[in-house]
Amino acid sequence: MKKILCATRGGEASIRTQDAVIAMAKKEGATIVFLYVVDVEFLRLTARGVRPDVVATELERMGEFLLAMAVERAAAQGVEADMIVRRGPLTQALEEVGQQLGADAVAFGRPAGVDSSFSLSDLEKLAARIEEDTGIETYIL
Amino acid sequence: MKRIALCALAVLGLVSLFAGIWWLNGRSGGGRYGTSFFVSAGIFVFVFAAISLRWMHETSAALLGAVSVWLFHYVAGTFFPTFQILDFEESMRFVDWNVIFLILGMMIFMAMFSETGIFNWLAFRAFRLARGNAWLLGMALILLTGIVSAFLNDVTAILLLVPLSIEIAETVGIHPLAYVIPEVLASNIGGAATIIGDPPSTIVGSHLGLSFVDYMVNMVFISAICLVVLLVLTTGLYWRAFSTARQRTSPALVAQLEADARITDNRLLKKTALVGLATIVLFFVGDQFGMPPSVIALVGAAVLITWVRPDMHRMLREVDWTTLVFFIGIFVIVGALEATGVIGWIADAIAHLAGDNLTTATVLMVWIPGAASGIVANIPFTVAALPIADFLTASINGAGNLVLYWALVLGADLGGNATYLGSAPNIVAIGLLAQAGYRVSFGRFMRDGVPVTIVTLALATLWLLLHY
Repeated sequence: MKKILCATRGGEASIRTQDAVIAMAKKEGATIVFLYVVDVEFLRLTARGVRPDVVATELERMGEFLLAMAVERAAAQGVEADMIVRRGPLTQALEEVGQQLGADAVAFGRPAGVDSSFSLSDLEKLAARIEEDTGIETYIL
Repeated sequence: MKRIALCALAVLGLVSLFAGIWWLNGRSGGGRYGTSFFVSAGIFVFVFAAISLRWMHETSAALLGAVSVWLFHYVAGTFFPTFQILDFEESMRFVDWNVIFLILGMMIFMAMFSETGIFNWLAFRAFRLARGNAWLLGMALILLTGIVSAFLNDVTAILLLVPLSIEIAETVGIHPLAYVIPEVLASNIGGAATIIGDPPSTIVGSHLGLSFVDYMVNMVFISAICLVVLLVLTTGLYWRAFSTARQRTSPALVAQLEADARITDNRLLKKTALVGLATIVLFFVGDQFGMPPSVIALVGAAVLITWVRPDMHRMLREVDWTTLVFFIGIFVIVGALEATGVIGWIADAIAHLAGDNLTTATVLMVWIPGAASGIVANIPFTVAALPIADFLTASINGAGNLVLYWALVLGADLGGNATYLGSAPNIVAIGLLAQAGYRVSFGRFMRDGVPVTIVTLALATLWLLLHY
């Protein structure tokens, strides 16, 4: 059975991506692994009273919750899904998890307007890099 | 490249500005201010810009500024005595060690508390009590954040409460911004209530030599009023979201939420809560023994460390030394401004503007820091504004009741709510929201932050004018 890896978070844009990847998995008879990557880089913006380890643990819990919502969403549409939470830079986490799981594809959500974390060109570059490094097919949905 | 060009332009601008003032100073025939005046002012403006524009880390900028003061004093001052600003011994007298040790003591408490899971447990209790009522839940979370921020480090309170608030928002089917942004605003308001709540409060309270109770008696009422006003404004701003929220998660996910909100270490919680409570009691009665708040915080921290026996190497790693170094650096830089007459010059200008009128001075001391805190870093601003408050208090009739200091605290604390750059909790909350997939633009934060800031600053001004 094919395996699709999908990096996701919460919010409307992520739900659109989750729906698109669930539809894709359903069509191809694939399973999904939702991935949440904890990145505490934003803490560098402030010098005050911050413990990165505690923040990362809290974010891991939040990530598990957001992914559990995605897994329930997939189950409701008859698609088998699992979830993984990782710490560190997104690209590295995607490549490592993709290779460990033997994923057949990595799916990304298309940037939704100015509020997105990535521009379309950045996302295309990221997808190309993952394909080049791991040989895993990438899709921007 | 763009960044280098911007930095170069900023440096050129500053050099031109100071050269202009220097030239005008010479032309006026007074020659009132020496080279050290301009050098110390230049160092402060550079550090302030570096922090506010995020050119470099706050602590690096403050340390660089302090070191520059000493380098100019010792090296340039050896060849040209007019470059002498402040020697090391003198500059240490400007460091408020009460602030440093108070923050250190509270950091130890916060490090222990954060490992117990108490904040998440409290937030989940609020979720249970609200029984799915999104509005009631929002009000409870806002109040919880405000109260926690009054007694513990506001940044850590936000770091621990916001992830669970996002999960709760997802559970009750409401946009997380409806909870998180008001929570952040509440943390800045709650921080004004006590001397340990927020850095500007600690800095001003310590400068005045106030006890925990002296400070609280003056600030708790207006902070509570502002918190109530925030609840009303939040209800208005998010009424549609509150009224259309519908639970959208399964019982399994609610069970996971409950598991996330469990007390993680009961024994540690009991010990921390007991010592924390005793420390708060000591904060209230410590004045009888003439104990400064820093000593009380350190007594509590020492008892806690002795009782809990944590791994001290780990414990010391968890103390946020960067913040402490940042404060020391800022005190040295502002000390240089005082020693070279820059503060006196600015105070003169403000006194001239206020025209010996206490009402005008009070309004200026609320709104100037209030407006500035939304854009620039409020910690160096508060440290620099304190000697100005000293000068105005001494020179304006009727200012002996400390009204100008309270105006400064309220301006600096409440003004930080206007933009997401205004205070550290705002920046952290925006980062946490982005991690959950909700990006908040500068304008989106201001949509909530600016009205709350204007209303709370107006209330604070009115209260100060009526009460003092």
